[in-house]
Amino acid sequence: MGDQLLVRSYNVGCGDCIYVCIPHAAKKGFHILIDCGSKESARSKCMRRSIEHLEQKVLPTTTGGKKRLDLLVVTHRHEDHIKGFDPKFFKNIKIGHIWITKAMDKKHPQAKKSLKLHSLASTAMEQIEKAGLALSPELEGLASLYSIANKGATEALTKELPDLSGIKPDFVFAGQTSDDLGVKVPRTKIHVLAPEQDIDGYYLGKEADATLRGLDKANTEFRKVTKAEEGDRPANISEADFRNLRSRLLSNGLAFAVDDSKIQNNVSTVLLIEWRGRRLLFVGDAEWDEGYEEGKKNASWNVMWKERKALLNASVDFLKVGHHGSHNATPWNRHEDKDHEVNQIFDAILPRPKGKKKPTAQCLVSTKRKQYDTIPDAELLVELGTRVKNTRNYLENFKKQDPDFDPDQEIYNYSVRKLYSGEDTPREVGDKGWLDKDQPWRTDMESAFKSSEDMGNTVEFVDVKIKPKAKA
Amino acid sequence: MGIRRKTTKATRMRLYAASQYLNLSTEKELGLQIPFDVYLQDPLVAEEDPRYGFNDGSKDKGLFVRWEPGLADGPTSARFAIVDYNGDTGKLLPMAKWNERKEKFLDSQGEVIDRDNLESMQFHQVNVWATVQRTLDFFEQGQGLGRRIPWGFEGNRLIVVPHAGYGKNAFYDRRSKSLQFYYFDHEGQRVYTCLSADIIHHELGHAILDGIRPHFIESTSVQTGAFHEFVGDLSAILLLLRNNRFRRLLVEDTDGDLAGAAHLASIAEQFGSTVKGEPYLRTALNKKKMSSVAGRREPHLVSEVMTGAMFDILLSFAKHFIEDRKRTAPQAFWHAIERMQRTAIQPLDLLPPVDVTFRDYALAVLRADELSNPTDPHGHFERMAKVFVEREILDAEDAAALREPRYLYDRLHTAVFHDVDDLSRSRAAAYRFLDDNRKQLLIPADHDVIVADLYDANKLTRQGSRLPRQIILVYLWRESLMLEGERFGKLAGNKTSMLCGGTLVFDQNGAVVSWFRKPGTRVNGETHGKAGKEELAEGEERRDRILDNIADNVRRGRIGVALESERGMLGTRMPPLTMREDDGALRFEITPHLSLAEVHEESKGGPRWEISS
Repeated sequence: MGDQLLVRSYNVGCGDCIYVCIPHAAKKGFHILIDCGSKESARSKCMRRSIEHLEQKVLPTTTGGKKRLDLLVVTHRHEDHIKGFDPKFFKNIKIGHIWITKAMDKKHPQAKKSLKLHSLASTAMEQIEKAGLALSPELEGLASLYSIANKGATEALTKELPDLSGIKPDFVFAGQTSDDLGVKVPRTKIHVLAPEQDIDGYYLGKEADATLRGLDKANTEFRKVTKAEEGDRPANISEADFRNLRSRLLSNGLAFAVDDSKIQNNVSTVLLIEWRGRRLLFVGDAEWDEGYEEGKKNASWNVMWKERKALLNASVDFLKVGHHGSHNATPWNRHEDKDHEVNQIFDAILPRPKGKKKPTAQCLVSTKRKQYDTIPDAELLVELGTRVKNTRNYLENFKKQDPDFDPDQEIYNYSVRKLYSGEDTPREVGDKGWLDKDQPWRTDMESAFKSSEDMGNTVEFVDVKIKPKAKA
Repeated sequence: MGIRRKTTKATRMRLYAASQYLNLSTEKELGLQIPFDVYLQDPLVAEEDPRYGFNDGSKDKGLFVRWEPGLADGPTSARFAIVDYNGDTGKLLPMAKWNERKEKFLDSQGEVIDRDNLESMQFHQVNVWATVQRTLDFFEQGQGLGRRIPWGFEGNRLIVVPHAGYGKNAFYDRRSKSLQFYYFDHEGQRVYTCLSADIIHHELGHAILDGIRPHFIESTSVQTGAFHEFVGDLSAILLLLRNNRFRRLLVEDTDGDLAGAAHLASIAEQFGSTVKGEPYLRTALNKKKMSSVAGRREPHLVSEVMTGAMFDILLSFAKHFIEDRKRTAPQAFWHAIERMQRTAIQPLDLLPPVDVTFRDYALAVLRADELSNPTDPHGHFERMAKVFVEREILDAEDAAALREPRYLYDRLHTAVFHDVDDLSRSRAAAYRFLDDNRKQLLIPADHDVIVADLYDANKLTRQGSRLPRQIILVYLWRESLMLEGERFGKLAGNKTSMLCGGTLVFDQNGAVVSWFRKPGTRVNGETHGKAGKEELAEGEERRDRILDNIADNVRRGRIGVALESERGMLGTRMPPLTMREDDGALRFEITPHLSLAEVHEESKGGPRWEISS
């Protein structure tokens, strides 16, 4: 057993908290934590419990008495990936290395524009948070990405956590390897596949230029609200009309937040771990779209296929399914053109076994049903179920939990069925017809349907174990 | 303005009260029309060719706007309030101040705003205000609809926001009663959409049409959306061509024989190049037919067929004035444009209350022309019909029907006689008229009917002579529709409604001038003879079309909910159709078209309002 690599996905609701242990006899394993965040409220404690579990039950003790975490990886700055990075949780943990996406390096000249976009979005969203304005559920989700708690986590990652361990974080980018970054693990090589160093060039593209320049002029005229100003109103219309008018102006702040949010997913740190003949792919929330195009706001998978094809173009033994199973984070056979690059990528990394062969790859989906309509994507999971071996039929589970469960009535979790050439036909299909099919292991279902109140009282996780490749 | 003396405000108010009996030049003399400096097109054109800089007449400087007693800072007038609030910065800019004595607006420094002082934001405020003021007047005057046009919302003042924020945008939004103009940077220069006459005309065109037929917005049909775009473009084209100096320069700048009609094409071309950079106007020069836009969903693209048709008609008028009536090119253009105002705008009053199609409009254009020009000595009717047929807006059957000899007026066969003066006096009287005559009016017995609008219009015909007074009664009802089946996706199982109704136009003697109907699937009880059966068949066809349209829009992911907060809307994620629930049924509304940037007709990928996190 000591010879197996372990991937553990803690159940933190909708969020990633992924622990990887690479066997390393001399050091009691090489311990990696990839992200720690959740959409759950602070009250649910699921993140704290997970870190406590990791600290007390999993990590080895160092000579100084603290626990040892060899590598902490931060894929991107969304709350469902970083909200748990509270220095309090980590005070007894000594971290060896911190890898953060290059996009979060404030001094990086090729991320200047995307950082500007992020700061404009943050300004706008903070104002909304401060003013305590009512928001629709969709916008609330967006606003929470910019919450003060999240800002705190970013600070902790770049400053407090490294200071606690007396190290400096590395802002990583595609092309780097564990060797370049001074990380030594026997018979292991970790490749950074994304983001590319030129963050603005690849992921922001040219189209944002005009808008950003417009708001950047004269050190930005962008909204900085004060109380007094809120009271200001034009003398020629009523207060009610003015309030109504303001709510119907186009908000660049919100638009930036949406753009920025998408870009943040696409600048996720993507790691390929090569270990004793096995390939494990951790993709954060990298997204894909209809194809790479120079100067465009590109999606991460398409950029990787263009720039890192040599490493990407082969089957993997493990995939951390991106973005909690959303339709646009795993390149899959949604394009009717079979030769389209998204189909090529999917068939390359997770080929469907030919003939009577059984799949050998494994994957994990960290997700939470009912958080969003389209996450996880029902059809994607069923498709993945045909390409990996660690699957389960969750219908029986459901029936055990809820005798009244009727898949015909269930409306949660759609599949966004869309085709990427010709006319766009996004269409939503309900649960019906997929729940009784094999799906890869999911943190939510494996954890036996804990509601968010229960979650955190017990620690839940899903483990995948990987053996080294047998020598030929 | 030789005899112009300063009048007291009291005198001016009395003159204002009498202004309907005065002509334009008298109004100018009396100070009831005040000139303001506004860009003829926009600052860019003004810079490239200063002759096209400001909206000047051939003799006067400035754009004349009617004085009103309530004119105030803002500018604020009876119908418009300029509110210079910027959503990005959260700042409210100082208003232009009205100085009654000087008859000018002043900037925040107290300086008169005119072409010599146009750097201030207050100039922008005055520019957009004077332009909308003048444009509304263009639609309301006798050569237009000959009546006041209310807004499509509650209240009488349209809020105009000249610097709403950063972006390549401008739009009309009924919910906030506003026209919003944004600004953006292009090649190092800041472009203000509130300074572009074409953009102002286009967006105000939406607001005006929404006032004329408020239920057009509640539609899922492409043609109805496209009709809105068409009216926007049409007002931009007509108002630009209406400028005497512009027309004269246009003709002058065109090489060739000014008297020859061959020359029209090059004038049209010149027009196209003069307005380059403004995709609105260029769209007039096209040869598109209905078949070339079949199946397309983008309203602006579809609207080009109608815009092109009306431009063809304009050119055919001009050609006629040159060839048959031996006018010079500038004269011919003037006559053509003057006629065009009546030809294109007057029929808007005849349109049905809901779901307008290009065919409805073409028939209304021809009908309106028949009324004001019954003997048609110069063959304009045939000229126009030909264009509509060529563009496939009317089919051969329509054309044949139009050529059938017929009486100028139809009599309405009603069960209970109502004097037109009585029924026009109040909505309650109009309700009674409709109720008493449900059967003859083909209104189902089991549906409550709504008087959507009731008004009088005093339209003018050529040379300013009056047409008989028109009494316009717009009525409608809602039929329930179920969205059943998988094709409605998530909406399946919901109810929606189909708007049905008609527009009855009487003359002052009670003769029926026109009657456009949008039938439903039920008529009143027993048999209705041939007319009733046809009506039913058409209603059923409408119902099927509406359901198909909804399903198609569902399939394409075009229906959504606008994302908005007290801090503004998410424009980039605005679905083309928004949906809201009213009385347990879904209502679909055309979203104001956002973005002046080239529209990608069928944007690929998922719903545009999907959010990443």
